Amino acid sequence: MNINKWEIGPIFRALMRNKVGAVLIAIQIAVTMTIIVNSIFIIIERSKLMQRESGIDDANSFYITNTGFGDEFDSKATTIADLELIRNTPGVIDAVQINAIPNSGSGWSMSFQTEPGENKEDQGAAIYMVDEHATKALDIEVIAGEDFTPSDVRWRENGTRDWPDTVLITKVLAESLFPDTPWQEAVGKTMYISQTEPMIIKGIVDKIQAPWVGWSDLEHSVLTPEITQFSSTRYFIRTQAGERDRLMPEIEEALASANKQRIIRGLRSVEETRERSYRGDAAMIKILSTTMVILTIVTALGIVGLASFSVNRRKKQIGTRRALGASQSAIVRYFMLENFLISSVGVIIGAVLTIGLNMVLVNVFSLPSLDWYFVPAGMLVLWLVGQIAVFGPAKKAANIPPALATRTV
Amino acid sequence: MLTMHNVKKIFRTDLVETHALRDFNLQVDEGDFVAVTGPSGSGKTTFLNIAGLLETFEGGTYELDGKNVSNLSDKQRSQLRNEKIGFIFQSFNLIPDLDLFDNVDVPLRYRGFNSAERKKRIENSLELVGLANRMKHLPSQLSGGQQQRVAIARALAGSPRFLLADEPTGNLDTKMALSVMELLKEINDTGTTIVMVTHDQDLAKQAKRNIYVRDGQVSELSEVVSLEHAANA
Amino acid sequence: MFSYYLRLALKSIRRNPILSALMITAIGLGIGASMTTITVNYLMSANPIPHKSDQLFYVQLDSWSPFEPANEPNEPPDQMTWTDATNLMKAKKAFRQTAMASSGGVVEPQGQDEKPYMASIRLAFADFFPMFDAPFLYGSSWQSSADDNRDYVVVISKSTNDRVFGGKNSVGETIRIVGKNFRVIGVLNDWLLVPRFYDVTTGAFGETEEIFMPFYMKQELEMTNSGNTNCWKSPEGEGFQAFLQSECVNFQMWVELRNDDEKAQYMDFMNNYVNEQKALGRFPRPLNNRLSNVMEWMENQEVVADDAQIMMWVSFMFLLVCLLNTIGLLLSKFSGKAAEIGLRRAVGASKSDLFIQHTVETAVIGVAGGILGLGLAFVGLEGIKTLYGEFVQNLVGLDMTMVASAILLALISSILAGVYPTWRACNIEPASQLKSQ
Repeated sequence: MNINKWEIGPIFRALMRNKVGAVLIAIQIAVTMTIIVNSIFIIIERSKLMQRESGIDDANSFYITNTGFGDEFDSKATTIADLELIRNTPGVIDAVQINAIPNSGSGWSMSFQTEPGENKEDQGAAIYMVDEHATKALDIEVIAGEDFTPSDVRWRENGTRDWPDTVLITKVLAESLFPDTPWQEAVGKTMYISQTEPMIIKGIVDKIQAPWVGWSDLEHSVLTPEITQFSSTRYFIRTQAGERDRLMPEIEEALASANKQRIIRGLRSVEETRERSYRGDAAMIKILSTTMVILTIVTALGIVGLASFSVNRRKKQIGTRRALGASQSAIVRYFMLENFLISSVGVIIGAVLTIGLNMVLVNVFSLPSLDWYFVPAGMLVLWLVGQIAVFGPAKKAANIPPALATRTV
Repeated sequence: MLTMHNVKKIFRTDLVETHALRDFNLQVDEGDFVAVTGPSGSGKTTFLNIAGLLETFEGGTYELDGKNVSNLSDKQRSQLRNEKIGFIFQSFNLIPDLDLFDNVDVPLRYRGFNSAERKKRIENSLELVGLANRMKHLPSQLSGGQQQRVAIARALAGSPRFLLADEPTGNLDTKMALSVMELLKEINDTGTTIVMVTHDQDLAKQAKRNIYVRDGQVSELSEVVSLEHAANA
Repeated sequence: MFSYYLRLALKSIRRNPILSALMITAIGLGIGASMTTITVNYLMSANPIPHKSDQLFYVQLDSWSPFEPANEPNEPPDQMTWTDATNLMKAKKAFRQTAMASSGGVVEPQGQDEKPYMASIRLAFADFFPMFDAPFLYGSSWQSSADDNRDYVVVISKSTNDRVFGGKNSVGETIRIVGKNFRVIGVLNDWLLVPRFYDVTTGAFGETEEIFMPFYMKQELEMTNSGNTNCWKSPEGEGFQAFLQSECVNFQMWVELRNDDEKAQYMDFMNNYVNEQKALGRFPRPLNNRLSNVMEWMENQEVVADDAQIMMWVSFMFLLVCLLNTIGLLLSKFSGKAAEIGLRRAVGASKSDLFIQHTVETAVIGVAGGILGLGLAFVGLEGIKTLYGEFVQNLVGLDMTMVASAILLALISSILAGVYPTWRACNIEPASQLKSQ
C-alpha cells in the first residue's frame, strides 16, 4: 500500500487548524484512560483480596453465640450439654466452642517470640481457643506434628491470664517465627507468649485465617486447647453439604429451648460473615466497574458527537473529494486516521496522567503501585474505543454523494 | 446620508494581501435608491459590509447620517445597526425555528421596545409585505419570494433610515424577483434610502442611480443608459 | 429580555433534541456521580457538634511500651488504662470531664412475653450528657454523686424505653440489667450522631448505645470489655481486678475546656500527672500527651474512609470528562447556529447581548442536568446503601444544602463549560455568515 495515500500530513495539518475539537477529544481520552486503568487496577487488587481462602469450610459452616445471665447460669455445664446436643444432631459433621470466627472482624491477638524477654523480635497472631474437635469442625489439617488430644484441653475462666502448654500453629506463622529452618522443623520447638511464658508447638495446621481481613499477617493463627467458661461463648458448627440452611434455625431453636438461663443470638453463616467483611471491597469493585462502563460510553458518545459534527461541517469538502476520485474507503480511512492521530495524543497524555494518579494513590492512600503493562493495555483499549466510536460517522461521511460538490447548499 | 471618503480594506493571510477596497469614495443622499454592480470579487460585498457596520476598515472616513463611525465600540456599532440600518440578504437569513412574528421581532428586541410597541410594528410591517395573515407560520412553510418579504418586513420593522440589500433577488425566479423589486421601490418612495448590490443589470436599471465597482474602487459613476452601453459593449 | 432569552434557549434545545439530551445526560451523570460521593464524604466529615467541637478534647496519654510506639510514627495509644482514666477523673481538673468505655449486657424485661436480650452499654460519668448535648425525653442525667457512690442508676435510649416500658415515662422504674436492678433516671430522645464522635475506636458510624451506666459499674459488676483492648504487657496476676490495674487500654476520656487558658492548664496538669506516674515506675516513654478537639480527633482517626475519598476524586474526574464532552457538544451546537448569530449581529445585537443569550441557554441545560443529576444522586445513594448495607444508613441522606449545592454545581460547571463555545460563537464575523452559505 502506498503510504502517501494515507494523507497523514494533510490530516495533521487540517487538525492543527481546528485544534479545539481535537484537544477536547484528546483530553477526554486521556482522563478516561486515567480513570479506567487505575480503576481496573484497584478492581483486580480487591478481587485478589476477596479470593483469598479462609482455610475453613466456608460453605457448610455457621456459628451462634450463647450469652448467660442470672446467678444460676452455669457456663461449664451449659457448654458441655450444648456441644453434646449439637454434635449429636444428624447432619452435623462436628462442632467446637471457639472464641473468635475467622474473617469476622473481631477476635483476640497476641505477640509471639522465639526467645523469652523484653524487646525481642515478635510475630502477632490470632488466638483461637478450641478443643480436640477443632480440626474436624473447622476442616483444617494437621500437616506436621500431632493434633490435640482430650487431655491437652483445659477450662479457661474469666480472668485466667496464663496459657496452655501446647499449641497448634499455622504453616505461615511457623515460617515467620523460624525463617531459617523448614517449617516442618517448628514442631516441638518452644515459643513465648506474654514475653516469657513458654508454649510448645505440638503441630502445624495448613491454614486458618485470622479474624481481620485487612491485617497484613492474615494467616498468622495459633490454636490453643481450652474451652472458655465465659458468660458469653460461641459455637462453630460444620454440617454436611447442603444441610447448613436447614440446621441453622433448628440448632438455634434446640439451644434456646434447652436452657432458659441464657440468650441465643448472632446466628450467622461463615459465608455471610465473609460477605460482610469484604462488603466494602465488593462495593468498591461494583462502583468502579459501573463508573468505567458509563465513562467509556460518555467518551465514545462524545467522539461520535464531535465526529458527526465535523462530518456535517465538511459535507461539501467530502463531496468534492469524492468528485475528485476519492473512494468510499478512502473517506472512511480519512476519519479513522484523524481519530487515530487524536487518540494517540490522548493516550500518551493518558499514560502520563495514569501513572501520576497512581503515584498520588500510592502516596495518599497507600495503594500498591501499578504494574507497567496496565499502561500499554489501557492505551490499546482507548485507541480501540476511539476507532469504534468514529466508525459510524465515518461511514456516514463515505455515503455523501459526490454530486454534493456542485450543489450550493 | 452616507459618505465614504478614501475608505480602504485589506484582507491579509499569511501569504497575500488582498486590497478589497482601495480609496473607495461614495456619497449617497437621503431618499436615494442606489444599485451597485460589478464583477465577482470587485469589492461590492465588502463595501456593503462596511456600509452596514458589519466590518471595520483601515483608512479613510465613513460618515453615516452625519456621524463619523470609524472609532465606535462594538456596542455603539450594534446600536447604530439596530436603529438606522435594515439588512436584506440573498439567502433571506430567517431563523428557521422562529415563526414569522418572532423573526420580525428579533431586531425589535434589541431595540428595547415594550411588547405593545413591538406587536404593533411587527403587524404593520408584515401587513406591508402582505403576510400579516401568516404570522404564526414557520419560514419553511413559505415560498422563496415570501421568505424574502418576511426578511424585508424584518428590515423595516425598526423604521430604519437606510436599507442595505445584498443580491435580494439572487435566489428568486424572475417573477418573484420583480415583485420584491416593486416592494423595494414602494419602500423607497416612502423616503427610506436604499443601497442594493446586484449583478442583475435589468434590476439595477430600476434603481434611481447606478454605480459600478471594479478592483475595489468606484470606477464609473454613470447614468443608466451609459451603463447599459458599457455592459453591452 | 431574560424571558425572551429563556424562550430562545428552550427553542434552541428543542431544535437539537438528541444533542441537547446528550449534554443534559452528560452533565447529569457527572453531577450525579459527584453528588453521591460528595454526600458520603460530607456526612463522613461532618462536624457532629459544631457549636462546641473546639471546646471538647479527647485525652491521650502515652503509657505505651518503652520499645515501640502504640502507633507509628510516634502516636500515643488511642485509648487509656483504667488506672489513668480513674485518676484523671478523680482530679476533676477540667470544666467537665468523662471517662468512658463500651460494654454490653443482658436486659431482662419484666413482662412475661418479652424475652431477655443483649443490649449495648456505655459506661460514663454524669458530665457525659451535658458535654455531648444528649437530648432527654424524660428525666435527666444522674448526679455526680451517683458516680462516686456507685448507685445502680441508668439512662436509657428511646428504643430501650419503647422495648422495655412500652414508651411510657419510665423515670423511677426498675430495669434488670446483667442480673441487677437499676433505677431509670432519664430517657434519651432519638440521638443520631454522624459520626458518633465520642467513640470511634470501633468504627465512626455506629449507633449511640441503648443503655448508659455509671462508669465505676465496670469494676463493681465486672462488666465485659467491648471495643478494642490493647496491651503492651500482660496483666500481672489473675482476675478482673488485675486486668483493671494493668497497662491494657480500653477506656476513652473527653474533657470540656472553654478557652485556651483552660486547655493550657489541663495540658500542664496531664504532663505533671505523667511525671508523677513516672516516679512510680510507669510511663516509660518520653512525654507525649495529646489534647485533640473533636475535628482534630476525627482527622487523626481517619474517620473519612479512603475508599470514599478515592471515589470522590474519581467522580470529580468523571465530571471533568462529562464537562469536556459538553464543551465539545456545545461547540458543535453553537457553530450550527452561526448563521443565526450573524443575522442577530446584523440587526443590532451586540456581542454582550449574544453572550448573555447563549449563557442563558447553557444555564438552562445546566439546570436540567442538575435536576437529572440530583435524581441520579438519589439512585446512587440508594445503590451505596444496597452495596454497603445498614452501617452506612446514616451516610446516605440528601439534605437541602446538598440539593442546592447539586443544582449550583451543575449550573456553575455548565456555565463554565459554555464560556468558550459561547465566546467563540459571539465572535463569529457577522459578515461571513450572511452571504449565501
